[in-house]
Amino acid sequence: MLAAAACAITVTACSGGVAGGPQATTSGGPLKFGMLAPMSGSESAFGDYLKNGASLAVAEINAAGGVNGSQIELIVEDDGCDPTTAVAAANKLVSQGVVASVGGYCSGATLPTLPIFLEAKVPMVIPAANSNALVEAGQANVFLINGTGTQQAQAAVSFATKSKAARIFILDDSTDYSVDLADSFEEQAKAANLTVAGRATLTPKEKDYSGEANKITTSKADFVYFTGYYQEGALLNRQSKDAGYDGIFLVGDGAVDASFAKITGADYTKNVFGTFTQTPDMLEGADNWIASYKAKFGAEPGPYTTQAYDAVRVMAEGIKQAGSTDMDKVVAALNALDGFATFSGPLKFTDKGTLSSGGFVIVTIGPAGTFILHDDLLG
Amino acid sequence: MAQVLLNGLFVGSFYALVALGYSMVYGIIKLLNFAHGDLYMLGAYIGFVVLTGIPGAAEVASVPALLVLVMIAMLTTGLFGVAIERVAYRPLRWAPRLSVLITAVGMSFTLEYGIRQIFGASPKAYPLRISGGLVSVLGAQISVAQISLMLVAALLMAVLAFYVNRTREGRAMRAIALDSRASTLMGIDVNRTISRVFFVGSALAGAAGVMAGAFYGSIDFMMGFSIGLKAFTAAVIGGIGNLYGAMLGGLTLGLLEAVGTAWVGGEWRDVFSFACLILFLTFRPTGLLGARVVERM
Repeated sequence: MLAAAACAITVTACSGGVAGGPQATTSGGPLKFGMLAPMSGSESAFGDYLKNGASLAVAEINAAGGVNGSQIELIVEDDGCDPTTAVAAANKLVSQGVVASVGGYCSGATLPTLPIFLEAKVPMVIPAANSNALVEAGQANVFLINGTGTQQAQAAVSFATKSKAARIFILDDSTDYSVDLADSFEEQAKAANLTVAGRATLTPKEKDYSGEANKITTSKADFVYFTGYYQEGALLNRQSKDAGYDGIFLVGDGAVDASFAKITGADYTKNVFGTFTQTPDMLEGADNWIASYKAKFGAEPGPYTTQAYDAVRVMAEGIKQAGSTDMDKVVAALNALDGFATFSGPLKFTDKGTLSSGGFVIVTIGPAGTFILHDDLLG
Repeated sequence: MAQVLLNGLFVGSFYALVALGYSMVYGIIKLLNFAHGDLYMLGAYIGFVVLTGIPGAAEVASVPALLVLVMIAMLTTGLFGVAIERVAYRPLRWAPRLSVLITAVGMSFTLEYGIRQIFGASPKAYPLRISGGLVSVLGAQISVAQISLMLVAALLMAVLAFYVNRTREGRAMRAIALDSRASTLMGIDVNRTISRVFFVGSALAGAAGVMAGAFYGSIDFMMGFSIGLKAFTAAVIGGIGNLYGAMLGGLTLGLLEAVGTAWVGGEWRDVFSFACLILFLTFRPTGLLGARVVERM
């Protein structure tokens, strides 16, 4: 029981634990936190945001004495937003002996890694990936820090109702995450008595979506919800406007990216909105946090930086409360968390491992070409 | 329906430009140049480098500026094509057909992942955008930019047809396509002519790449992959080795896809268009113009 001995020395680190006793099973080495993130591929920009957010949390926790007397070591592996690469990367993390997983950006790439981490008895706090499929996998060791597809669809429906959409057109890009969000949106929109004028699926990684644009205009829609990623979203927005569409173009969080405005072109950013989780610059009172982030990385924090930061903190808190890295104990401790302060508000997990409040807002493209807060949907 | 057909013709003209190079190369040395789609991607990136490298170049967003850019990209991509032939294909000219096919696949990967290493994997926003007002043709919306791009494509194809059919170099190309040994005996410089074919074919693909970048606004290192396969398909539908066949094949494939998207949905588009092709080739294996025109090229 090395940790017990360590606890006697570093009293401050252990005194934070309220419920859990200091009966850790960790050996003296650092606690390895594994993170799968897209460090290459079209989503690689987000990989850096995740990695930086997580490293910041790790540095802070370590500076404050670590968890149960052990320092945290963050190991980042590239999943390339690709299921095959992700499975290999997850196996690599497991073989390196990670005790916790705090990664996962693309839902399609994260889903096949769930059984691998379960097999290895590794609890997971997923910072960004938020497909309902992750929830439906029904694994007790999986917790989602980002709002789910259902919660995001809810935000999209309230925005559609608020903007008095008469005919809605839904488009997905045939990936897990996108179809899932579109399904959820369609279901909730119908339940809210909104008219769904059409639904289509496009093939990602192409350039020409004039066929889809044509469908939007012929459906006489005045509200489009596209649930895929930014490259396709930006191309579709431009081409549908060239085809004569002038209604609202709402995109899911995968398409909310600074490149959207660049690809779609400056003249085409009108009426473009997105459903998105709050980023640091939209939050009140995050100035100090942003300043320390900038000091450490020399760049502005971006989307999912806060979620990755919170994922590490939540996981560390779970391990601390459990007093051990045993998966069942950590899972129980995470489920017992109530009111732990995170960027998306006081944290409480539902029995499915999702956040009890989603925190989605509506963003729009500002004068600088980046997405800014439009409506927090609270009022 | 008019809108569907116009969309199809527009995409089809890109397929046709890329298919021409495929078809010409096959016609002259019976090689399926799998790296050809990547020359389209290379053309787009060369345009990107020129635009970001010369300050102020991207500000002159007009059709004449685009034409200059297209010329530069054509020249450079053409030279790349010549170099690729020299390095990866010429040394294997008398090697078994399969070996050359593999060097072509290798070249394709080299170009794709080489570009990825240099420019990164994320899609790049194109600095030059062509846009213009919308005009209505038979009840369909089409932008001035689309019309001008289709005109440029048509012009390039017309020049090519003239070059191959009416000039001395063109005659040499057709002669080699018929019988390269006999052509050598007649005093034709075979290596030089083959280089010319690679130059012209690659230049056309490069032109298509720049135009796609400027019109759609985003480029990525894999953009040549799917268009390469589709252009190859177009060349086969048209009757591979036949110039007019490649043009016709490109337009046909574009139209099939547009109709497929409209009828059965975007996710079924490729299923629809390729099922049609399988059927078509079952009944007419030589392609649209393959049998009628015996002379290749």
